[in-house]
Amino acid sequence: MEGYGELIRYMPSLLEGAVVTVTVAFVSLAIALVLGLIAATMKLSKSRIGRGAATTYTTVIRGVPDLVLMLLIFFGGQIQINNIGAYFEWDYIDVDAFTAGTLTIGFIFGAYMGETFRGAIMAVPVGLLEAGHAYGMTKGQVFLRILVPQMMRHALPGLGNNWLVLMKTTALVSIIGLHDVVLRAGQAGGSTREPFIFYLFVAVAFLAFTTVSIWFLNWLNRRYSAGVRRA
Amino acid sequence: MALADPGAAPAASPAALVAEDIHKSFGDLEVLKGVSLTAHEGDVIAMLGSSGSGKSTFLRCINLLETPNAGRITVGGEELGLVPGKRGEGLVAQDPEQIRRIRSRLAMVFQSFNLWSHMTVLQNVIEAPLHVLKRPRAEAVAYGEEILQRVGLYERKDYYPAHLSGGQQQRVAIARALAMDPSVMLFDEPTSALDPELVGEVLRVMRSLAEEGRTMIVVTHEMGFAREVSTETIFLHQGRIEEAGPPREVFNNPRSERFRQFLEGNLK
Repeated sequence: MEGYGELIRYMPSLLEGAVVTVTVAFVSLAIALVLGLIAATMKLSKSRIGRGAATTYTTVIRGVPDLVLMLLIFFGGQIQINNIGAYFEWDYIDVDAFTAGTLTIGFIFGAYMGETFRGAIMAVPVGLLEAGHAYGMTKGQVFLRILVPQMMRHALPGLGNNWLVLMKTTALVSIIGLHDVVLRAGQAGGSTREPFIFYLFVAVAFLAFTTVSIWFLNWLNRRYSAGVRRA
Repeated sequence: MALADPGAAPAASPAALVAEDIHKSFGDLEVLKGVSLTAHEGDVIAMLGSSGSGKSTFLRCINLLETPNAGRITVGGEELGLVPGKRGEGLVAQDPEQIRRIRSRLAMVFQSFNLWSHMTVLQNVIEAPLHVLKRPRAEAVAYGEEILQRVGLYERKDYYPAHLSGGQQQRVAIARALAMDPSVMLFDEPTSALDPELVGEVLRVMRSLAEEGRTMIVVTHEMGFAREVSTETIFLHQGRIEEAGPPREVFNNPRSERFRQFLEGNLK
């Protein structure tokens, strides 16, 4: 049982890593939600260019492995920014692992969120939006006060799924050197020669995050189902 | 009395609503071939016509839910600025601010109610007064409750629309329109989606609105309502006005052969 003693010894470091993981997840989620809404709006827009751009976006994300994208943005992004920086004579801009990681995950899940939102928006009866316009609401008011609450009910199941997968995808940031819970557990497991115990801890930690998420999502679901007849 | 001729009645105050020579095409199909209408304060104009005659499209052109291809719209003396749309979709509002202001004075009641299902009855009624007219909440709530009282649904104010019958939902939709203190109310086949036994309660509310002098334009299939309540009845056929006048005249002595056929078909 010596391994468990080691686990406790490394616990502060592991918890710090867990905080990094959760932060990466939330920041990526925020980016993904914004990109997803933009992508969905573009896909449903009358503009041919908008639809084309959004379709290209989803096609790229669907076709390229997450890890490859992350490495591309982390290494490739640094080189591109250096080139651009040299041209405009900026100071050196460092693409750190946190920025690259959250941007990549946000970018990937933005495409999935976009699909979820698109379906959810299409499920909202047009008449409800028309009623908003007919009563003199601005486009923004119709969007925020009618479309979003109406579509949330349809979007939540898909959104919840995306969130759980996103959470698990954050494990990839350990590859580009961000000190999340996975990287720290790997290092501790290596130096103590107890990888099983440390990775078991990581698994339990992720399971805990996702379980709490599921509770929260169920609560949200109930909230947004107000006014819906239950069979 | 209001006639279809826009230059007909020079009253002291401007007409509540003037629509002139409205044209609308969907692709190659010309749905409205120049329809005009003037509503003075207190007028109840019933628009009849078989389906496809363009009557709903006309109503939706008035508040620009549909973009007309040509025409002029004037509400309370204020002409709506129209410019050609960028995507060739017809005329659109020049000034978004103006169309919103005008829409807030033309409350619409829809065939399928279109109540916001995520809001309670009272929330539906106070939504636009709060966020469009910027009324203080206490005032909007007090007025909204008073109106719900009037349509007989005060006890249901905290229900969600899904828990009401069709007739009740349509009465809520009428309350939502009334809460705006509109200068003209637009009714787009308000009873067509209702079970026959629920039509009466909605028509009773509409009749009481007409009696208190509300200006209303009602697209309907309810002959009885047009005949007994309207101040003017208009019959549309294939995008044109075929017959227009006080209901007593048009129902008793229809000049148009098509309207006569329409009446025979509907009064059987």
